[in-house]
Amino acid sequence: MSERLRMAESGAQLLARIEGRQSLKDIEQHIFPEDGGPAQGDVVEFHGVEGSGKTEMLYHLLTHCILPKDSGGLEVEVVFVDTDYHFDMLRLVSILETRLTGAADENADGSESETEEAVRCCLRRLSVIHCSSSVQLLLTLHYLEGTICSRPSLCLLVIDSISAFYWMDRSSGGESLARQESNLRKCAELLNKLRRDYGIVVFATAHAVMRNYSSAAHGSSEPSGSTPSWKKNVMDFDKPYLCRTWQKILTHRLVFSKSEQSLEAVDQKQVFSVACSTVRTKGVKRCTFHVTEGGVQFIDEKLQK
Amino acid sequence: MVLLREGLCPGLSEDMVKALQGECIRTVEDLVSSDAEELAQKCSVSYKALVALKRVLLAQHTAFPISGADLYEELLSSTSILSTGIPSVDKLLDSGLYSGEITELAGGPGTGKTQMCFSVAVNTAHELKQNVLYIDTSGGVCAGRLLQMLQAKTSSTAEQMKALQRIRVFRVFDVFTLLCCLQNLRSNDLQKGSVGGGSVKAVIVDSVSAVISCVLGGKQTEGMSLMMQVAFELKMIAKDFNIAVLVTNHVTRDGNGKLKSGLGQSWSHVPRTRILLQRVEQPGAASSLRTATLTKSSRQSCNLMEEFNLSLQSEEEVKSGCSGKRKFNTDS
Repeated sequence: MSERLRMAESGAQLLARIEGRQSLKDIEQHIFPEDGGPAQGDVVEFHGVEGSGKTEMLYHLLTHCILPKDSGGLEVEVVFVDTDYHFDMLRLVSILETRLTGAADENADGSESETEEAVRCCLRRLSVIHCSSSVQLLLTLHYLEGTICSRPSLCLLVIDSISAFYWMDRSSGGESLARQESNLRKCAELLNKLRRDYGIVVFATAHAVMRNYSSAAHGSSEPSGSTPSWKKNVMDFDKPYLCRTWQKILTHRLVFSKSEQSLEAVDQKQVFSVACSTVRTKGVKRCTFHVTEGGVQFIDEKLQK
Repeated sequence: MVLLREGLCPGLSEDMVKALQGECIRTVEDLVSSDAEELAQKCSVSYKALVALKRVLLAQHTAFPISGADLYEELLSSTSILSTGIPSVDKLLDSGLYSGEITELAGGPGTGKTQMCFSVAVNTAHELKQNVLYIDTSGGVCAGRLLQMLQAKTSSTAEQMKALQRIRVFRVFDVFTLLCCLQNLRSNDLQKGSVGGGSVKAVIVDSVSAVISCVLGGKQTEGMSLMMQVAFELKMIAKDFNIAVLVTNHVTRDGNGKLKSGLGQSWSHVPRTRILLQRVEQPGAASSLRTATLTKSSRQSCNLMEEFNLSLQSEEEVKSGCSGKRKFNTDS
């Protein structure tokens, strides 16, 4: 199918394809290390337990992508594959509105209807797909190949979440692990092809559901005072459990965690933290953020100290 | 897994299915992932036919993208908010239960989960004149209590009866019957747009943990799979028919002795909004005071807490619930 579509592409499309898609390298310098942002063809996993800010961060990055250039965005198209049936359009719109009015205040005062129109304009760059089984996800990804090929401004594919069908696949695959993982493996292989051939960036969330028994035992042997509470949480559930093929294509891994309500909380607000590790840079970059009504707000490390 | 068989789509003949099976292409996934050119040579089916078949199958089985702008438009016109009938809880939920999402009530025994479900059912049936499906897994539905709550709202017997008729109760006592019930609802009753006349606005499952917690545990994955299937059915009912789904769950304590909702990590991702109900400890007599804490929400900041009185519910003047078209602002 892709061959056919490729034959039918226009000159502008050809040029755009040869030039390559826009880079998302500078999408968020707070999270990704310097020179380590998601370049073309990178796959980023957002890993964390429930309520650790994965979705909020995803919306934050998504907003940045679909916002027009004059509001400080990247103005690229995004496909959002919602396998969790969890996509909250109202939340995304409220984040968009905050960002748009924030940018408008600096330049000129925009009326409400203008903001409304701008929001719609941004949303036109977003396509949402709901998938209800791993087979449907696989077939949808196949279908998307054509879409990606014909739309050079499409730079980001979001899958929320890649682990949604994990338990159903495990149970329906019979005894052998290979059969159990076959759908996810095929999805990962296809994603690998999409990212390699078309240079698209993939963001996928994965629910942390596997307890890491070995490191949990290790964590408890330490005096509890010396380990920050969020670090302990990370140890509990950060075990990668999805199939090997998926682990292999990952270039970035963001591990999210939530601090317990404690002294760490500034102004009674929940503090979330994210640790980013990439295959290209050494070490782990950590940053902390709040979630406010208008979206994610990063906490400046220097100010905190 | 979708098996290839004759008649699955136009152009797929019996001979073709057999030829493909010879090359170990048994399912739609196999066919779509395969290389059409190579396959055409191997099983001597024309390349053109294979590519056409692939396209038809893809068109049949994929989910189609919706533009964000259209989705937003649709959402603005179709989202409704069902009042729970308890003003303080409505405040916590940003004016009530939103259609299209799953809201969870978590709490220990006797913290008012079922009472709150009743309140939602009565309020939706009476104030909003909408149908409610009440799936009862623990035998907790008490028609007398529903009537009592209705009597506090209206003195007309006819209206009370009408409201009671709008609440349809399903009794299921194991996870398989629950799944069957939900699948039936999704593919038959709700599809027709009406259950006993009038559209359904709320589906209540009280309690979801009663049938699921007993299949979990050990090293088996079937239980987890069943749980996630129930979760998916509920999510699809909520999204596809724009229905507010309310489920109740039990609570456990984590390592630090803090209360958390039951059914483990995988389930914790399922509900969009969660309220934790607790008793207000008072020395002496049992009190009807409860606290509700918002522990998960994408609209309000978490850990907000409100107090409410269970016994007051039947006497209190309940404000009419807001529903229907609502303009969403940034501050909502």
